[in-house]
Amino acid sequence: MSKNLQYMIFGTIFGFVLSRVGASDYDLIFKMFTAEDLKLAYVIITAILTAGVSMRVLARLGMKGRGGAPINVSKKPLQMKKNIIGGTIFGLGWAISGACPGTVLAQVGEGKLLGLVTMFGMILGTFLYAIMAERQKE
Amino acid sequence: MQLFRIIFVDPWPWWFGGIAIGLLVPFMYYYLNTALGVSTGYGNLVKLFIPHSKLKWLNSPTYKNVFNWRIYFIGGMILGGFLSARLSGSPLLTAEMGLFTQRVQWPYAVYLVWFLFGGILLGLGSRIAGGCTSGHSIHGIANLHASSILSTVFFLLFGAIGVALIRMAFMGGL
Repeated sequence: MSKNLQYMIFGTIFGFVLSRVGASDYDLIFKMFTAEDLKLAYVIITAILTAGVSMRVLARLGMKGRGGAPINVSKKPLQMKKNIIGGTIFGLGWAISGACPGTVLAQVGEGKLLGLVTMFGMILGTFLYAIMAERQKE
Repeated sequence: MQLFRIIFVDPWPWWFGGIAIGLLVPFMYYYLNTALGVSTGYGNLVKLFIPHSKLKWLNSPTYKNVFNWRIYFIGGMILGGFLSARLSGSPLLTAEMGLFTQRVQWPYAVYLVWFLFGGILLGLGSRIAGGCTSGHSIHGIANLHASSILSTVFFLLFGAIGVALIRMAFMGGL
């Protein structure tokens, strides 16, 4: 199976699961932030624990992938200022749109027109970042 | 038929969805040696619109080939949402957005600006922070990365502050 097809299958599973569990539902995101319904908080915590434990299992097995190829765990460097500023901007965007970069894709697939608008906003925001990065280098 | 309902129609319980999402992390490493993450792929989408841009960031190794795995992953995510909605029998298209369009009575054009603005903040914020809910909050925290824990604290803190402000300003108070 080609790699790109495998990536597409993983993406399809991810989008499907996000949609089935209600992560692409505006109301559940909203109610997580008002603490009226913490279902999605439990989803995130369960996902973190599951991923954390299974990464430990992979480490015990020598961090080898299929066919014995070594796995390189990517590490995002700590950049306090950027993590805080970016995290703040992201959090406000999350509150405004009721979506995050992954769930908005599931929303688009579900046929939510305003989700499509959020997705276009994300493309614009990423373009703005590219322009900012250009100015910083000069 | 009962099983079909449980999987495709009724919303999944939190623990089942959480385990399924969490397992994507080790499986993507095992099969593809790739860290779970979505928001970086929006750079590919930018490049789809402006393929000949001379901006240095869009010509970095990450985006050298616009049709790399991230495009397929993003395409799959949209397909996954589509399959979920089709199998559960929800309408093909909807102009509404849950509680927001119920509680906030604005002309539709203002909704468009609002969600576009929210998206801009998400795109900008995830690039500055270096990731989003999947790359930082799930993959990063599971691997105990300090940057992911710090970013996620601010995602959640300002998500809650933002929703509180929205309720006070547009939904008649807390």
